[in-house]
Amino acid sequence: MARGNNLKRLLNLRLLLASWPWLLVITAFALLRLSKGALLLDLYAQVSRPFWPGSAQREWLQKAQRLEDQQRLALLEAQLSNQQLDLSLRQQQGPWVTAAVISRNMQGWWQDLLLGAGALQGIRPGAAVTAPGGLLGRISSVTPSTARVLLLTDPSSRVAVELQGNRGKGLLVGDGTSRPRLEFLEKDVEVLPGDVVITSAASTVVPANLIVGVVQQVNLDALPAPEALLQLTAPAGAVDWVRVR
Amino acid sequence: MALFASGLVLLCLLLASPGWLQLAGMSPAWAVLWLLPWSVVEGPLAGALAGIAVGLLFDALQGSNLTSVPMLALLGFWWGQFLAARRPLERSTTLGLLALIGTLMLNGSYALQLHLRGEVNAAAWHITFAQTLLTALVAPLFCSLQVLFWRRISSRYER
Repeated sequence: MARGNNLKRLLNLRLLLASWPWLLVITAFALLRLSKGALLLDLYAQVSRPFWPGSAQREWLQKAQRLEDQQRLALLEAQLSNQQLDLSLRQQQGPWVTAAVISRNMQGWWQDLLLGAGALQGIRPGAAVTAPGGLLGRISSVTPSTARVLLLTDPSSRVAVELQGNRGKGLLVGDGTSRPRLEFLEKDVEVLPGDVVITSAASTVVPANLIVGVVQQVNLDALPAPEALLQLTAPAGAVDWVRVR
Repeated sequence: MALFASGLVLLCLLLASPGWLQLAGMSPAWAVLWLLPWSVVEGPLAGALAGIAVGLLFDALQGSNLTSVPMLALLGFWWGQFLAARRPLERSTTLGLLALIGTLMLNGSYALQLHLRGEVNAAAWHITFAQTLLTALVAPLFCSLQVLFWRRISSRYER
């Protein structure tokens, strides 16, 4: 009886209508959540514009890009004999977009960056994000003037990679620390600390042959296949400008 | 108006947390620090609803799909029960203890969600302890000031 009364009091229509300010607030926040904060992030990007990193690193980035291109060219020439048809690289056309990092979340339950360029500059979800040194991560969501990068170290990040020289393919799995885990697909892998890891030519989500990192520690006893810890070459904690395509 | 202003401050803290207030790279749990004084002053229902609102805001501003809504609503409801307590909350270490337990539970809910999704965060204990310690350390300062502020505004305490 008392329970019934309580229920009736809880579901009282008048009481429900009387709490309309709360309903309004909750609805507004629910809409905000559904849009993943698009309006707020755009607002933040505009407000924080005077505090964006300066352009010195941007020029440094472009210089580093030329250097990296030369290295990549040398790499490709060396591999020309067993070069395979690289569809994903051909599909990934269009200019690189340079964007400033305006919010950084490197530690904690999730790892992401917020960039000061978005859909208006031509950034699409899923695009690869690189810094001098190599791949940083992928774009997870965009708003008109911001884009969010899911870093390789985030627990939900999965990227197909391979050892340089087509020696072993694997999956790069983030685990919240600064060194993601490389899980190889085959049992027999010749891998040593110091080996360079690049994005896989088989991957359809990231361009092939981007440098990802260097193998730092190898665990050949892991089951079902060997594992390795990777030191990423792109410094996500220090970079102020990144390039997106 | 004051609610709007404090919400704006919370928003700024969530997006650009100050670098000097960090322990092992972790910022304090700003959502907890805002929700605690509000629900202690306004009661369980308002606390739970504010918990849902802050949780939705927090989820909107981060890229992952982990949610903090249920745990913040629960915490708001629980902290609202302290409305009836006849102790001077703002003077004691109780606020620090409540913030400590709240942050621990919030981080625990993230860990549970990651576990259910089959993902691993190797730094989970590190993150949890750093954030819990830091939040509990700053809570007595921030929360007691906010409790006094909300009480001055709230109609419940007018005399």
